[in-house]
Amino acid sequence: MSIFLKLTMALLKTVEPTTEEKKYKKIFYNIMGFIAVFGIMLPMAFFVGVIIYALTSQLLSMGSGTNAVKIFLHLVSVFSFIFGINVIFSVFYFSGDIENLLPLPLKPYQIIGSKFTAALISESIMEFIVIIAAFAGYIIASGAPFYSWIIALFGMITLPIVPLIYCGILCMLIMLVTRFIKNKDTVNKITGLLTFIAIIGIAVMVSNSGGFDTEHLVSALADPQNAILSTMDFIFPQIHFLVDSTVNNTFINMLFYLGVNIFAIALFMLIAHLVYFRTVVEISGASGQTSRKSFSAIVGKMKQRRPAMTYLQKEFRLLFRTPAYFTNCILINLIWPVFLYIVYLLQGKTNFLDSFIYDIHNGNEETVLFFLLGISAVSVLITAANCISSSALTREGKHFAFMKYIPMSYMAQINVKAAVSIIVSGVGMLIYVIAAAVYLNLGIKITLFCCLLSLCSVAFVSYFGIFMDSVNPKLVWDDELNALRGNYNIFFNMALAILLEGATCAGAYLLFRFTDLGALIIIIMLFLFIMLLTAFSYLLCSYKATKNIDELTF
Amino acid sequence: MIKFENVTKTYNKKVRAVDDISFNVKGGEIVGFIGPNGSGKTTTMKLLTGIIKADVGKITVNKFNVRRDPINAKESIGYIADSPDMFLRLKGSEFLDLIGDIYRVPTKKRRERIGSMCERFGLTEALSSPIMSYSHGMRQKIMVAAALMHNPPVWILDEPMIGLDPKSAYELKQMMCEHAKAGNAVFFSTHVLEVAEKLCDRVIIIKKGHILYDGTLEKLETQNKNESLEKIFLELTEK
Repeated sequence: MSIFLKLTMALLKTVEPTTEEKKYKKIFYNIMGFIAVFGIMLPMAFFVGVIIYALTSQLLSMGSGTNAVKIFLHLVSVFSFIFGINVIFSVFYFSGDIENLLPLPLKPYQIIGSKFTAALISESIMEFIVIIAAFAGYIIASGAPFYSWIIALFGMITLPIVPLIYCGILCMLIMLVTRFIKNKDTVNKITGLLTFIAIIGIAVMVSNSGGFDTEHLVSALADPQNAILSTMDFIFPQIHFLVDSTVNNTFINMLFYLGVNIFAIALFMLIAHLVYFRTVVEISGASGQTSRKSFSAIVGKMKQRRPAMTYLQKEFRLLFRTPAYFTNCILINLIWPVFLYIVYLLQGKTNFLDSFIYDIHNGNEETVLFFLLGISAVSVLITAANCISSSALTREGKHFAFMKYIPMSYMAQINVKAAVSIIVSGVGMLIYVIAAAVYLNLGIKITLFCCLLSLCSVAFVSYFGIFMDSVNPKLVWDDELNALRGNYNIFFNMALAILLEGATCAGAYLLFRFTDLGALIIIIMLFLFIMLLTAFSYLLCSYKATKNIDELTF
Repeated sequence: MIKFENVTKTYNKKVRAVDDISFNVKGGEIVGFIGPNGSGKTTTMKLLTGIIKADVGKITVNKFNVRRDPINAKESIGYIADSPDMFLRLKGSEFLDLIGDIYRVPTKKRRERIGSMCERFGLTEALSSPIMSYSHGMRQKIMVAAALMHNPPVWILDEPMIGLDPKSAYELKQMMCEHAKAGNAVFFSTHVLEVAEKLCDRVIIIKKGHILYDGTLEKLETQNKNESLEKIFLELTEK
């Protein structure tokens, strides 16, 4: 095997999830995997396929059949770029392996190529399913021949190359400019903020493009002069060639597609060759900030506090000071208003939000029930997505033993870790809930009830996430981003929490539709049920997670 | 102070890291734990501190059963782990304060002990910087200071001299002697036989989870016709 392949395989190992040897844990993981694949991934892929199928069918009659799949693949590329920024920065500049690789007799292209390939594979697995679903929707709708599937499969594997190369080039240019900043963490936090700004930029772009109701979307896509599509074709030119070769099976377009990818790789390797090693050496020598204070000033600040309080402060300090955690666990909570804004814009001419607000003001029972179900569901989603609880034990990494040898019970430590998740997710949620309540003029009693329902939902997922992480925490990672990447616990926790919450909301709505129980009774039942789920997840932690921690051998 | 009775620990039902071993460490004793790599030293230390659970056997620290009364047992221990790379994003002072709170060290005592240890180890200047910016030796020193801050009756130190400069190593050895003199127990693992020779009242030699020798160095040397400890160790462990 060539050195390039061996190095790529070795680098991929560092992002591999941990394997479990105990039989009951293996069964648990298999069940979770089954739920995740059949409960979330495949339905999501099916949903994407159906949308592309429907849009393509409509567009075919208007003579622009390829536009739906094109715009979707552009969208996938944009998301690859956004989520790839942090990954590429981490892989190229902040991973612990660079200091071990530099002294080895490896050629620069072997290190750069292996690192890029490992990042491409580990980042694109989820994307593959969505891309192939989009192609499937298109091929079925257009009735393209069999060999279109082969081209689609090839596209599925190669599509994320160009967006990740953009990330790589951007990353190297930023490192070149900021190489004088001696604190790695500052640079790393800058990239987190850049990602955030990119997301806001997309939201602004969407807001400037007018309403997005279905009718408008179809007519916009059918327009051969579509400005967004033209711009995106310029940014990601390879997509046009790939889609065209899938449709018309033109060999020349496939060659163009390959040409764009090879050119992008060559350009990336050239820039990396000129810039990467020069900047990475300087960055490797950079250390955290140091400060000098008098000894009396330092110890003067020391004061005995309760162990739980100081442990809580430690958790917060690590979350805020570690760039990978700051971006993925803290900053992500600020993204939700942007998504809500996009939803607001997507309503277009239908104005479903306006009619929703009107119904709330008039006390429409069904709308009020929907509003409360929405609060609970968003609370669950926010808490699961920031992964503070589902990575609570994983984040301890190599010093997990600390949890076990200090004189503090496991449950006390779990409570503190859950409190961190409840505070971060809860404060975020309360701001949104109170803002919505003020906007909708809900009154103090209902606002308080909304806050309680939200906090209860947050607490449920916080304890549940810690239990999920305790089953098999990923304790071996070489940089903090790897603690979160490829971590099944985070994904499974999100999948289960969404399924449980989805079932709860569906049950509540069905009760409303098909029984004589009024909305008020159902809302009270919903609140009691969420409280029950919270108590259940607390007990799971108390009896099972503590036992899991106790039995962990590493 | 430390009682290890017929303890066995197996990893993955295959590797018997510690195989039915027993030993005691009395108050006032410094006991060195020596053995080749992979002999079971760190596993024994982890069993003593409650980090891992024994399959069979009973472990008592300061009269507290490690399984049945873990919090009291852990409060009695000052433990230095084999790796000092811990909480690198905290400042030295923040880490010491965290440990002080967890072990409930009163404010006045905490300030006194941190002051004295920082002076001995030359840590004063570094306290306001993140541990990440420390050298390996400095990290080891802050771990030593944190582990001993609450003045526990039992010290369990896994390779404590690694990375320490000569002055700090000397200070730590002095502290170990002072601690034992005050009637406390010191149990430490080492690969440096000279350290064991100079410091220990007793040594325990372990290989593949079995204790090969438990006794004083004088007795060991007499038994082996006054050969050097290095030679005796090699003969014992390479059999």
